[in-house]
Amino acid sequence: MDDRKLLEHKVARRSVLGGLAASLAAGVAATADTLAPKVAQAATAPAEVPSIPGYDWSKHAWAYGVDATKCIGCLRCVEACKAENDVARDPHHFRTWVERYVEIEGEETARIDSQADPVNIAASSSEGTYRFADRYKDEKVHKAFFVPKLCNHCTHPACVQVCPTGATFKTDDGVVVIDHTYCIGCQYCVQACPYGARFFNAELQVTDKCTWCYHRITKGLQPACVEVCPVEARIFGDRNDKNSAISKFIADNRVTVLRPETGNAPNVFYVGLDKEVI
Amino acid sequence: MLIATGVCTMPKHIRRLLLLIAAFAVLAVATRFILVDKSFYQFGHYRGAAVAEIAHDKPKYQGTEFCRSCHAAPYAAWSTGVHNRPLIGKTVKCEVCHGAGGGRDAEQDYVNATTGPIHPANLKLTVPRDTRAVCTLCHERIVGRPVQQAQVIPRDHAADEQCTLCHNPHSPRTFVGATLALEHRGSIAVGKLKSEACAGCHGADGVSAGLPGPTLAGQDEAYLVNALRAYKTGKRDNPMMSPMVADMSDDELVDVAAYFSSLKCTLAPVAQERVAAAQTSGASVCTSCHGFNGAGALHIAPHLAGQSKDYLAEALRSYASGARPHPVMTALGKTLSEQALDNVATFYAGATCN
Repeated sequence: MDDRKLLEHKVARRSVLGGLAASLAAGVAATADTLAPKVAQAATAPAEVPSIPGYDWSKHAWAYGVDATKCIGCLRCVEACKAENDVARDPHHFRTWVERYVEIEGEETARIDSQADPVNIAASSSEGTYRFADRYKDEKVHKAFFVPKLCNHCTHPACVQVCPTGATFKTDDGVVVIDHTYCIGCQYCVQACPYGARFFNAELQVTDKCTWCYHRITKGLQPACVEVCPVEARIFGDRNDKNSAISKFIADNRVTVLRPETGNAPNVFYVGLDKEVI
Repeated sequence: MLIATGVCTMPKHIRRLLLLIAAFAVLAVATRFILVDKSFYQFGHYRGAAVAEIAHDKPKYQGTEFCRSCHAAPYAAWSTGVHNRPLIGKTVKCEVCHGAGGGRDAEQDYVNATTGPIHPANLKLTVPRDTRAVCTLCHERIVGRPVQQAQVIPRDHAADEQCTLCHNPHSPRTFVGATLALEHRGSIAVGKLKSEACAGCHGADGVSAGLPGPTLAGQDEAYLVNALRAYKTGKRDNPMMSPMVADMSDDELVDVAAYFSSLKCTLAPVAQERVAAAQTSGASVCTSCHGFNGAGALHIAPHLAGQSKDYLAEALRSYASGARPHPVMTALGKTLSEQALDNVATFYAGATCN
């Protein structure tokens, strides 16, 4: 939905809600929830699939691959994502980001920085453009690599479980999205996500995160970050298609996921992660 | 009847309570009907209409075919160049450098913006203003970048110059000014016939003993073609050369270049003098364009090895004075003292040429 329309809609909704007596509303909502399913179903003729032209979500199972051995840390994905999805051009809000792990001789843990690190922001020309600074040239580095990160679109997403309004949900084709007209900005989901993939959009007062560019993939396009990646470090595709790039990526490589112990069952598969990466 | 009797006989406070509950129930259903979207629970515990709404957004990144429909020439250069190598997994698409659909100029990072008929009113083809900042995003040598990626230390590689001074950004292995887009392949035999007049200044068989002309034998063919064309178009102005090429056709220029580049230069190295000069020449800055030992690295810069010392010194002086303007050489020439200039000339004059 267009941002300005969304803002107007939310303001209007708030003024209506404000007019109702708070206690009455609470009582009504509690009662209504028990009756809701039958009423809602009776009120609409349920369609089988959402009305997206030329697209049937029951035929797809989207998944994402990251080959960390190929990533060159150019951050074109980060800027493309911001442009494609109108994410604020500041160094604090990202739907996808890139981390750099640097192991230095004599240090027990790796140093980790991302494009949002002040040193890296200083190396770029503005807060809306990103680059990794050449900051470790005088250190004795024995290992260093980049890891692109994004929402994992988990099979059992903790964020969806905690949402009190049904504003965030998992579509039948495997994408976790946010309905911004229903999001009340409580940020439970931001807390629940073990990957830090969600952020709060203060202007719209809603939570935001990666949607795998749902408006693109439903039109047969690749997500913007995959579209611009110059080295094929990011792979996207349909697991129902055994010949798709992602099916081959998963079949041909020993893939892993981030933090499998959380039980979220991520759908972003990684190649080339080191022990330090979580 | 029984119910009615029951309700009638029911104590008043119980009846009121039941009425109140019934009223709440009606209100709840009505409120629910008004407030909750009709598509809620259509597919699950969420507003079903939201799926189509999210999918409805318009994509901004359009892909290379979109660009190709108008920008065929840059597309052709790109598609055959090193920035389009899908077989080895390297593809730098148009929008990686030019922005989404050409329209990402929110912070005025770009110049030369033009609006075409297909682009929406506020979307423009954007050209990076500072190619040094753009190219180094991928090609600056930094910790963490995998070894298979081509990387340079920008200051050592190109001082403060823009990348596009030498590289065609659409096809970076093509060097600006070095493309021999020839319909006609140079003929050495024809070139020999046409080059009789050259011997007066450039020596017999293209080996010059000194001023006024440089040694041409063994010189890079692309460099020669471009130099001859520059004289013909007036881009390079020389009282001797300009009239010489004025009446020659482009094919003849190519033939002459083919002839001279096919020759061997035979000047003997001046070993001892050269070693002494090398200590203080500062010739290391020359190698990035002219190659190690002046044997040529890029087609944009000539071979220096085997040129006469007098010619090299004279050329450097004319660069420094501005008589022969050049974006790189004029600046470099000004940094050289007369002694350093002499040393550089001695160093390359003594280098072995092939």
